[in-house]
Amino acid sequence: MSHTDKLGNFTSEDAPDYGDVLQCMRCGFCLPTCPTFALTGRERSSPRGRVALARAVAEQKLEFTESVREEAFFCLDCRACTTACPSGVRAGEVMEVCRSQAHQFFPPKHVGKTFRAFILQKMLTNPDLLETSMLPARLYQKLGIQWLVRHSQLLKLGPEWVAKAEGMMPELYPPLRPQLPDVVPAVGEQRGRVAFFLGCIMTLMYPEVSRQTVRALTHQGFEVVTPKEQKCCGAPHLTEGDRSTTRSLAQHNLDLFMALDVDAIVTDCAGCGAALKEYEELLEEAGKHDQLAAFRGKIKDVSEFLAEQGLRTDGLQPVEKVVTYHEPCHLCHAQGVSKQPRDLIRAIPGIDYRELNEASWCCGSAATFSLKYTGESQQILDRKLDNVKATGAELLVTANPGCHLQLAWGLKQAGMTQRVVHITELLGMATPD
Amino acid sequence: MISKTATQHLIDKLGAANVACEKEDLLVLGYDSTPGIHHLPEVAVFPTTTEGVLAAMEIAQHEGLPIVPRGSGTGLSGGSVPVKGGMVLCLNRMNRIREIDEENLTATVEAGVVTLDLFNAVAGKGLFYPPDPGSQKISTLGGNVMEDAGGLRGLKYGVTRDYVMALECVLPDGSILTTGGKSVKDVAGYSFKDLLVGSEGTLGIITEITVKLIPPPKDKRTFLAYFNDVRTAGEAVSKIIAAKIIPSTMEIMDKATINCVEDYVKIGLPRQMAALLLIEVDGHPAMVEEEALGVKTILEQVKAAEIHVAKSAEEAGSLAAARRTALSALARVRPTTLLEDATVPRSRLAETFAEIERLTAKYGLTVGTFGHAGDGNLHPTVLCDERNSDEMHRAHAFYDDLYDQVLAWGGTVSGEHGIGLAKKEYLARQIGAGGVKVMKRIKRAFDPKGILNPGKIFVDDDPCTEAHIEEGFRVSH
Ligand SMILES: Cc1cc2nc3c(=O)[nH]c(=O)nc-3n(C[C@H](O)[C@H](O)[C@H](O)COP(=O)(O)OP(=O)(O)OC[C@H]3O[C@@H](n4cnc5c(N)ncnc54)[C@H](O)[C@@H]3O)c2cc1C
Ligand code: SF4
Ligand code: SF4
Repeated sequence: MSHTDKLGNFTSEDAPDYGDVLQCMRCGFCLPTCPTFALTGRERSSPRGRVALARAVAEQKLEFTESVREEAFFCLDCRACTTACPSGVRAGEVMEVCRSQAHQFFPPKHVGKTFRAFILQKMLTNPDLLETSMLPARLYQKLGIQWLVRHSQLLKLGPEWVAKAEGMMPELYPPLRPQLPDVVPAVGEQRGRVAFFLGCIMTLMYPEVSRQTVRALTHQGFEVVTPKEQKCCGAPHLTEGDRSTTRSLAQHNLDLFMALDVDAIVTDCAGCGAALKEYEELLEEAGKHDQLAAFRGKIKDVSEFLAEQGLRTDGLQPVEKVVTYHEPCHLCHAQGVSKQPRDLIRAIPGIDYRELNEASWCCGSAATFSLKYTGESQQILDRKLDNVKATGAELLVTANPGCHLQLAWGLKQAGMTQRVVHITELLGMATPD
Repeated sequence: MISKTATQHLIDKLGAANVACEKEDLLVLGYDSTPGIHHLPEVAVFPTTTEGVLAAMEIAQHEGLPIVPRGSGTGLSGGSVPVKGGMVLCLNRMNRIREIDEENLTATVEAGVVTLDLFNAVAGKGLFYPPDPGSQKISTLGGNVMEDAGGLRGLKYGVTRDYVMALECVLPDGSILTTGGKSVKDVAGYSFKDLLVGSEGTLGIITEITVKLIPPPKDKRTFLAYFNDVRTAGEAVSKIIAAKIIPSTMEIMDKATINCVEDYVKIGLPRQMAALLLIEVDGHPAMVEEEALGVKTILEQVKAAEIHVAKSAEEAGSLAAARRTALSALARVRPTTLLEDATVPRSRLAETFAEIERLTAKYGLTVGTFGHAGDGNLHPTVLCDERNSDEMHRAHAFYDDLYDQVLAWGGTVSGEHGIGLAKKEYLARQIGAGGVKVMKRIKRAFDPKGILNPGKIFVDDDPCTEAHIEEGFRVSH
């Protein structure tokens, strides 16, 4: 079905594909992997239920109601259901499209609208503005804080969580983007030339991590090009259902990066990587399949890239640590990158790697805040932390800023001593100066 | 329509979080995994205790609402679909494991406990609960008992019925029936327990289940054998059984299934092969050794194209996990996945495959077949599109013909998925009008007013409860 035909009770602009919702055979395999189903026990807050709601709207058995909107936004978009689904259904993506529908059916009220428009269309599309603006607004998106605000009632959160949220903030350094040279040369024998996609949250909140990413890449023999004009990947906009801004950001980044002569476009943010890999679908209506496919082929998460190229271990200094790895949803579920980070960690000399039980279970992302307050969600966090504890690891490695923040906060609350590090920080420890 | 006061009563008794009456909630509790069947209930409740179940049933009785029990809605015959509307009674929040009795080797659980959760909990204590339906990750024990679910290990270890020792059940008249117990022998009066197992939620609501546990096998060996044609695979199965070897698992997948599963799991299954058998022998190491040799010899005799042995427990586990995704993976191909549950005496396996091939060609359909070959239980699955009514008619003609043959061979129309809504017309063909009459009398003895899960198992000439697969969806009332 083409996107311009009207599908049932959906509007014609950005409607789900009927085939995509029919694909669900309702086996329920996705249910035990869905964090929102675990939190609420409600079928409609499960992937199977969400797809069924979309199908009911498509078949005109249901209007696009307030509750459909609610479910679209309650979905964490963690994509655990995509990995779990043997039939190839992508419930998270169906919900993403439904968010766009939601804005058409329920135009945001005035204040919310200006705030949202301000954040999404002004700030996040303009890196300079973003870097000079105040922190809470920067973080409102992408870290899922809005998810939490919206659902605080459903999740029975007390008012205290807002204060707690502040406790989650890491120590902040000046943003990395303006500091990073356009080109950083390879160290030692050069193996190639890559472009670096520097995510908004990485430059703002984890500049020291991304600095290590660039350092690790250059020491591995890659020249790193970081175009200053790059913009937000569009993930926050897509999450919010603002597909038209996402498309214009995507087009901008696509043109910018395709003009570079590089072997790969590397990112150290799993969320950005997942979004960049989706440009192909997002922009497909504009044609240009070859260019889109070429772009898609070049996007690599840093661990995916280094595992593919083979880690150059000569000269690496041993890191004598017990290490475990938490899989970011946007890396393992959205990009299918699961083995590579582990291979990379194991290749670093000195490391005692311990596998984390349920490594790919969502860390709760925004839901973390709630973890303290409701019995069920406490169990989710406890489950993650118990698994971490059982490994006996000193370092908890992950590869996404949202997880990083979340896990660091959870460990701190539980009085646990493990340190959270990004995989490139770990590599940085092994890389000599 | 359920009255406002009744809804309020339910909320008072069960708590607001355990009562759903918004259309969006109800819409998603009106289906199970059976394609094309979807009905809208009037209210749904999630009791967390037996008292809650009783309270909900009382209110439903008072309102004259049919009551439809539901576990996780993974049933494959429409058993938990509220064809006549009414109240869907979801048991999945009664999910506590009450006791694992290591002296008597039993476990007592609430009906909503997920099968795999029980398996893991008892495994943690060095014990084994064998029934493992493909849906074990999410199916509930209540649902397993009500469908008498089988699984990959059914061949050697039997099905759910073989493990049920006691049941607690709420009857439509509001009485609580406890039947069976932890004693391994019990012949006091009629065996209600056995009557309840497989009754598809038409006789009572199960609230608590006590199951038998056994020590896990000490050793196992897993084979993967590939075949150039499906009939040879069927022949291998019959020969292994005839050689008096009972593997714990003997599962089959045909070419279409292999390819769909491989699309999902990507573990290097052989896409070009006509069929594969997943065979596992387990038990005492010495016996495993002997049986493994026997299996290997037979596979060589029938000229299996390739024979592989799993190198590690993980590899064996991932093969079984891959097999469990077969049905859902087949759903990748076309929008609608119509699966059947034909079961034949095992000596007839090769002929059954031939018959499936013949009928597939006759009706011009796409069919993927997989199943518990060792049990003679096959799932020929028609991959079709419910929007295409001609194709749907051909699919039904395919099953009609197939069942005639299966019954002629002394087989059954349902090995493990139950009759529910989807197979009502076939039941009488198998057990005859007399058999149906007795079953109906039993139903009346338990449920004289017919309020419990109406419209299931028996054809009752109510157009509302017939399966209209091509129609897809109807809202009751
Ligand atoms: C991918 C897939 C693979 C499967 N593989 C297998 C397999 O290998 N073997 C097999 O046997 N089945 C299999 N099934 C079928 C299904 O999973 C089983 O029938 C399972 O036992 C149903 O459990 P449920 O909790 O989902 O029950 P539901 O589907 O919710 O209900 C099943 C029936 O039991 C009744 N019921 C449920 N709970 C109660 C209760 N507490 N009291 C009274 N009545 C109740 C319902 O009314 C309904 O009639 C498979 C299904 C899928 C989708
Ligand atoms: S989304 Fe996939 S896993 Fe979930 S019920 Fe549908 S088919 Fe099954
Ligand atoms: S994306 Fe995550 S939260 Fe959304 S339906 Fe899938 S598993 Fe649930």
